[in-house]
Amino acid sequence: MKHGPLLFLGVLSTVLASWLIGVVAPHFQIGSEEPILLEDLGVNYPVDRPGEAKQGAEVYRAQGCHYCHTRQVRQEPLIADLTVTDLGTNAVEARAVVASLRRDLAGVDGSRLPAELPRPLLAGVPYAAAEAALRRLTNAGARVELKLANLGADIARGWGPRRTVARDYLRDRPVLLGQVRYGPDLANLGARQTNAMRLLLKLYNPRLEMPGSTMPRYPYLFEERRLRPGQAPSPEALSGLGFVPPPGVEVVPKPEAQQLVAYLLSLRADTLFYETFVPRPSAAAAPAGVATNTPAVPSAGAAASPPQP
Amino acid sequence: MSVPEANPVPASAPSAVPTRAPLEAIDRSCRWPVLVLVLLAAGWLVTGGLLAVLAAVKLHAPGLLAQHAWLTYGRVQPAAWNALVFGFASLAGLALALWMTARLSGAPLRGGGFIILGALVWHLGLKLGLLGILAGESAGLEGLELPPYASPLLLLGYLLMAPWALLTFARRVEPEAYVAQWHLLAALLVFPWVFATAHLAVVFLPLRGVLQAAAQAWYLQNLQLLWLGFLGLAAVFYFVPKLTGAALPSRSLALFGFWTLLGFGSLAGMTRYAGGPFPAWMTSVAAPAGVLTLFGVYAVAVNVGGALGGQGARLRESVVLRFAVLAWMVFLVVGVVGAVNSLIAVRRLTQFTLITPGLDQLTLLGVCGLALLGALYFMVPRLLGLPWPAPALARAHFYLAAAAVLVLGGAFLVGGLVHGAALNDPETGFIQVVKRYLPFASTGTLAHLLWLAGAVLFALNLLLALVRYFRQAAQPVLAAWTAAAPAVAAQPAEVKP
Repeated sequence: MKHGPLLFLGVLSTVLASWLIGVVAPHFQIGSEEPILLEDLGVNYPVDRPGEAKQGAEVYRAQGCHYCHTRQVRQEPLIADLTVTDLGTNAVEARAVVASLRRDLAGVDGSRLPAELPRPLLAGVPYAAAEAALRRLTNAGARVELKLANLGADIARGWGPRRTVARDYLRDRPVLLGQVRYGPDLANLGARQTNAMRLLLKLYNPRLEMPGSTMPRYPYLFEERRLRPGQAPSPEALSGLGFVPPPGVEVVPKPEAQQLVAYLLSLRADTLFYETFVPRPSAAAAPAGVATNTPAVPSAGAAASPPQP
Repeated sequence: MSVPEANPVPASAPSAVPTRAPLEAIDRSCRWPVLVLVLLAAGWLVTGGLLAVLAAVKLHAPGLLAQHAWLTYGRVQPAAWNALVFGFASLAGLALALWMTARLSGAPLRGGGFIILGALVWHLGLKLGLLGILAGESAGLEGLELPPYASPLLLLGYLLMAPWALLTFARRVEPEAYVAQWHLLAALLVFPWVFATAHLAVVFLPLRGVLQAAAQAWYLQNLQLLWLGFLGLAAVFYFVPKLTGAALPSRSLALFGFWTLLGFGSLAGMTRYAGGPFPAWMTSVAAPAGVLTLFGVYAVAVNVGGALGGQGARLRESVVLRFAVLAWMVFLVVGVVGAVNSLIAVRRLTQFTLITPGLDQLTLLGVCGLALLGALYFMVPRLLGLPWPAPALARAHFYLAAAAVLVLGGAFLVGGLVHGAALNDPETGFIQVVKRYLPFASTGTLAHLLWLAGAVLFALNLLLALVRYFRQAAQPVLAAWTAAAPAVAAQPAEVKP
């Protein structure tokens, strides 16, 4: 390599190419995304956070919560089951398709299957394969049912009803997705935890509720106030979960703690719209939130919140 | 790149056929600018080591020093990373770049004053940035935490320092550039561009939504492979053949490795966010690119391995060679694990686990850190014209640093698999997940303590060398002064510096 300029141009163009592919191309694809109007509710998703929660996002960033908590839900690998419910009028062709999908069922005489309906046809196959089979069978006039068998560990843990998509983060700045899960995912914390006091206590001392937790304490977000004899603690003072303040003292959250909790309560990515739609397992009967496209408002859907990990 | 006419080449050198300047002249031209960089790097190495120990301890002792906001894990961790990346690795890398370019070009280094000024500006910017991060003013995304008032200072400092390497390179005696020099030049060219672009796209004029994270993934990949990694590789490619006395077996293989690492590696950033809230094709592009970097890793393995073949005895003689060879081995491990880790099926297991910070830290400390430490052990005696005052400390440093990297790599790579298996089993409650990964994460404390101990030995050795240098430099002055003392006492105005 005798030529400095050649090296210079080569390096420049390689890194430029990676920038174009890695950032500029996606920018053209999703860079102009806007919040979408959910018509039946009349709200734009993602819903703008209330002012206190916006300040809380700054507290979240300043404490570096994202070094231990992610805010993204995966649903890979998608695995599906396919069941034939009705062969339809063109049974011969439908049987031919079935036979091509499941050679082991074909036997000697391909025309005699399947014997009884509904009949499970494919189990535990990748979602794309199940979808392709569904298309062929429906084209042949049969009726089939596609069920998701697996939505991934994140969803099974109750960290959200669906994967997170780019649109969920449109209102965030900076977007702190997180890369390590020293702690649980927080993408839907506001859906599974609606009690502000519990979160405040968790910030004050995480080991009150969860012995063995490695989350840091944030005592500097709280203030210890001396109580005059006979004075009752103020209503916002920490209480519950077996928390006993030192005698004659109340522990009151500072505004930063209140803001952070407001932000944590506003963390929800469970609204369904077309990018996020996945067919639900019918046995698990679409939860209320799915059918009504519940927007991210803190009061809704609390009853369906999954158990704490 | 035009070369200014005014140059300090001896007048006897005909301008048409430049001659190689004597080594001592080159080393003398490098002495102060490079030494300032080395001193600052050593300071940041110790500071970063301390912060890293603190962060590692806090991962398993969350109650420790909890009442101090500026020492919470979420601030100490990025502070440690930034101190080690921009303080230690980048400054030591620049020191190596300037010195090695001057040596390989056969031309004295120019721009000494600008380089010292640039180093101080960079140092000041980083100090401000670190204080900002500890005060809670971090810009947010991992790796791009420097607050908006600090990152421009770093860039300014860089622009005062790095161009002198390019200008010296442009005045090289032999037109053919050496393998180590390609990596060095690529790193020098890539860094300012990647640094400025990513800070613009994420901090100053943030892109919309998750595109910030895409830009961050691009930045981290390029920073780690093309800045930290290439600085490390430059040292390996320079010192291994130099110290073994054997040439690299194949220059074309090196060329092939260089361009494959550059081309594919640069694209592989999005494996960091595989399965994340991005268009799926982004991961699908990054995954094969990550796997294809194996070609580059293979080329480095074969080439350096060839230069090393049968030279085991030299390892016992030279601590520099030991550092370089270990850095090369860690590079191969990181390269292979990184390539496997970019497969989407593997990523499902390893995502969000200890493997991510493990690979990051192995690249920083194992590849770049070890190689640059070796380089510093080679450079400093030549810059000062003095041997190391305590070679035993250097040997101890090697063993401490090697142990640190091995412990860190073992714990975080194995721990990552355990962590991932636990995370991906929804029946395992989260507190159980914590119990599974915690022993491995805690081992990080041991690794960082070992690293810090080595860093302290290095700093000590460097200080001793400086003391000895100044004592020696002061000797003639002192002798003259004591001899002339009576006269001086009588007429102090006669004393000349």
